[in-house]
Amino acid sequence: MEQFFSSLLQLFEITHLAFLFGGTLLGLVVGILPGMGGTSGLALVLPFVFTLEPSYALAMMIGVLAPTTTSDTFPAVLMGIPGTSGSQATVMDGFPLSKKGMAARALSAAFSSSLLGGVFGAIILSVSIYYAIPIIMTFGFGEQFLLVVLALLMVGALTGDNFVKGITACCLGLIIGSIGTAPITGDLRYTFGTLYLLEGVPLVIVGLGLFAIPEIVGLLDGRGAIAKSLKNEKGWLIGIRDVFRHWFLVLRCSTLGCLVGALPGLGGTVVDWIAYSHLKQTVKDGSQLGNGDIRGVIAPEAANNAKEGGALIPTLLFGIPGSGNKVLLLGGFVLIGIEPGLDMVTTNLDLTYLMIWSLALANILGAGLCIAFASQISRVTLVPYYILAPVMICLIFFATFNVNRDWFDFIGLLTFGLIGITFKNFGWSRPALLIGFFLSTKVELLSYQTYAVYGLSFISRPVSIVLIILCLATIFLLLRQKFDVGYDSSVVKNKVQQICFVLFLSCLPITMIWSIAHLDYRANLYPTSLSVIAGILLTFILLIKVIDLRQVKALDNVMVRFARTHIFEHGNGFNNQLYYYASLLGYLGMNFIFGFPIASVIFINLFILFHDRKSFKVSAIITAVMILIFWFLSSLLTLQFPIGAIGLMIDMPWWLGGELTQ
Amino acid sequence: MHKIFALLIVAFFSISSTAYANVDLSGKTITWVVPFKEGGGTSRFARFIQPFLSKYLPGNPDIQIMHIPGGGAIKGSNYFQKNAKPDGTYLFGCSTSVIVNVATGNPLVEYNLSEYRPVLLLPQNTHWFTRTDLADGPHDLSKLKERDLVLYALKTPASADLFHIWVFDKLGIKGAKPIPGLSSSGGYQAFLRGEIHISSHGAANYKKKVKPEIEKGKVVDLMTLGIIGADGSVSRNPLAPDAPTFPEMYEKVNGEKLSGDDLEAFYSIGAAWSQASKSMLLPEGTPDEIVEAFRDAAKKMVDDPEFKEKATKALGPFPLIIGEEAGEIVKKAAVFSDNTKDQLNAALKKNRFTFRVQ
Repeated sequence: MEQFFSSLLQLFEITHLAFLFGGTLLGLVVGILPGMGGTSGLALVLPFVFTLEPSYALAMMIGVLAPTTTSDTFPAVLMGIPGTSGSQATVMDGFPLSKKGMAARALSAAFSSSLLGGVFGAIILSVSIYYAIPIIMTFGFGEQFLLVVLALLMVGALTGDNFVKGITACCLGLIIGSIGTAPITGDLRYTFGTLYLLEGVPLVIVGLGLFAIPEIVGLLDGRGAIAKSLKNEKGWLIGIRDVFRHWFLVLRCSTLGCLVGALPGLGGTVVDWIAYSHLKQTVKDGSQLGNGDIRGVIAPEAANNAKEGGALIPTLLFGIPGSGNKVLLLGGFVLIGIEPGLDMVTTNLDLTYLMIWSLALANILGAGLCIAFASQISRVTLVPYYILAPVMICLIFFATFNVNRDWFDFIGLLTFGLIGITFKNFGWSRPALLIGFFLSTKVELLSYQTYAVYGLSFISRPVSIVLIILCLATIFLLLRQKFDVGYDSSVVKNKVQQICFVLFLSCLPITMIWSIAHLDYRANLYPTSLSVIAGILLTFILLIKVIDLRQVKALDNVMVRFARTHIFEHGNGFNNQLYYYASLLGYLGMNFIFGFPIASVIFINLFILFHDRKSFKVSAIITAVMILIFWFLSSLLTLQFPIGAIGLMIDMPWWLGGELTQ
Repeated sequence: MHKIFALLIVAFFSISSTAYANVDLSGKTITWVVPFKEGGGTSRFARFIQPFLSKYLPGNPDIQIMHIPGGGAIKGSNYFQKNAKPDGTYLFGCSTSVIVNVATGNPLVEYNLSEYRPVLLLPQNTHWFTRTDLADGPHDLSKLKERDLVLYALKTPASADLFHIWVFDKLGIKGAKPIPGLSSSGGYQAFLRGEIHISSHGAANYKKKVKPEIEKGKVVDLMTLGIIGADGSVSRNPLAPDAPTFPEMYEKVNGEKLSGDDLEAFYSIGAAWSQASKSMLLPEGTPDEIVEAFRDAAKKMVDDPEFKEKATKALGPFPLIIGEEAGEIVKKAAVFSDNTKDQLNAALKKNRFTFRVQ
């Protein structure tokens, strides 16, 4: 109890508050940018948090995470585009309200319920910490193994529109995660003799590549959506009053959000829909739902902020991430030397409480800022894509280079960027791939450890049985809800392209099996069996795709119809996005030649002027600000810019991209 | 009179510091390469030393810490080997795992660690303990030796945890079986849950996490690695003064003193694992006068009242090793004799590992 309050005092130290506030601001911004969410935001700050004190770093990371689900309401309501995956349901009623001229009411209702939901989540988290020790002590290797496997199943089954593709994405993530030194024998797997892959692919690279790059490229492609301005909009007080009138709904949805968030692996992606369908089932007069009912905004927003508190429970206690952004939070823990588990509720309890307080405060701050500066913040959605995109790209490159200060990181970034773009367009689940990747080592080790300690008897332990039943039931119930009757594959044009992508994906398991076949069985058993499973799943997907393509009538039964749902995705923007992706390659090339600072100056100016020749003033100012930020950051943290070919040939000062030392 | 006095002072100082009179690092920037991620143990060690060292080096140079993580610490170490100039402007932050990479003959290693010039070493010590119901009182191995299965945590056989295998082999615990992939803290959790039987911790965590459990009566001490002196004597760990050291335990179990090949292996393992747990080195070929200047600064640093006040909390309870003996220790740790390698490989083979020390 004493630590509970002492950590509150610690939080109110001015430096802590400053970091929390900085993180919150960043979180608000990435929340507003359509598609970018906590995952991209954390991936951007992660390469820099290591220089901070653990408690500052925590305040900052929580600051980034908490308000993304608050500010994502701006694009959802104003543009009809969800800012993060957690606000998809908000669009249902938020956008119609905005079209009716009640955007302010919808926004203020959303922010207030976000605030209440977020604080509720923090309270539930602090209560559950109180009971955590006995829970951790009953979760042995076997229970943890089941928890991880079921987390993977859930993510795979629920984050994509097609569950077979979801599970396959998980499986591929697990395979990618097994690259590097085999944890049991120390053999090298799939490293091709390079030093770079010795410790596997870096997490931040995978996170940035899978999440940030596809969204930026998508932003460039979807240039049509420009929001309206919020000037002189009235109704802020009505929205707040709405929330208090529906307080019981807020409470119910917050509880729901917490519970769903706490189920490992489920996390953010479905919670808003669950809250929305709960509203549908319980409401007396639902005729206005979908046409601008304020309750349709309140329910998902309360739930998606409350889930953060719930999702931190498995993250802190078992190191099992509840969602994509928790994967990166865990990566941050490693960087600042915090290991999830028993320590979090014993020796590091003060840090845990600090996180809880930060979570509550960041929610309050985020919602407060959103309400107070709504009309100013909403203007971020008005910034043209061609100005936003090059700035984001430079930031991503800078963050990428600081992961390992290695050129290979850029190759990794662009590879995963391409995979991310394809995944997004062709309806494959990116969170499933990321969580599979992150949990891979854990799955391998836990399966080995469980077998060494228990043999197969772990399944009959009481907690294991409860876990299995609980999770299978959830998957069954949610899958039934996910079956999309309205899906029609006949509008998809690039089916052949999508079939080719499956063939491309199958290269990974095949080459994996081939490259590790000579190793000791304890080093190759795990990746090989995963590869076989992935191979079977991919073959199945291919089969279903061909059935769909050829319209085979003879095979039309329930199973096939179920598997055919969203087997193809529209993916209309794919070719355009590839074109924008190519500009990233150009930027990388410039980095190779000129080094980072000069390349960034050229890139930002070229990009902006190419889209609008008259805005050279804007591009000059933006370039100057960016370069100043980079100089400030790198002299503060003694970071080295990527050195280009020119920098290697002639002596340049570090701020132009020369060598930092001497 | 004044002039004579002044001359005397100058003379005194020039005598007392002849060895590095012409070493002056003022205005220079020293790059301290740490082959690990920021926030790890070696990084914290470097960050703690950095301001004190800068204060006592002649000319008060700036010291910047450059982290080059990756490749199991090999990438940064190789970088240091290739780029470091032996003029006092480069320092290397080394740890047990950097040494183990050399000692076990990792083919990717390009750094010539045994020729580096150590300035200071920070020792560490390992405590082993078990559950109360698995021993007849503290420091008793007899019950564990009778068990068919004695599980313990082992990160990977290619890390310093490899030495656990050797230790349990030499103590004749036949049921000992490593569970790979468990860090010492993950292993300790599993130990508390009753899933593994022997666990170990370094000094700081022992004090913080294990001592309370011992006081509750749930856990008993088994032994410590022991603190190896300059003359080769092994003394008990002040944190657990009643617990026998490994050589004592060896004698109790095997009925004869630790000697011959086993003693040689113990010294190598002890050097790598315990004495040179963290260290600060200058590159190969650094002139003696520069090395002396750094060692002198380190000695002054240790006497700094602020350093004394903070060191125990930041670095642990064991005094730093500074000077020529540090060089011997690093050599011993980095170059294992063929006998020692054979012993380690025999222990690895018994546990069906494919990894071999080369």
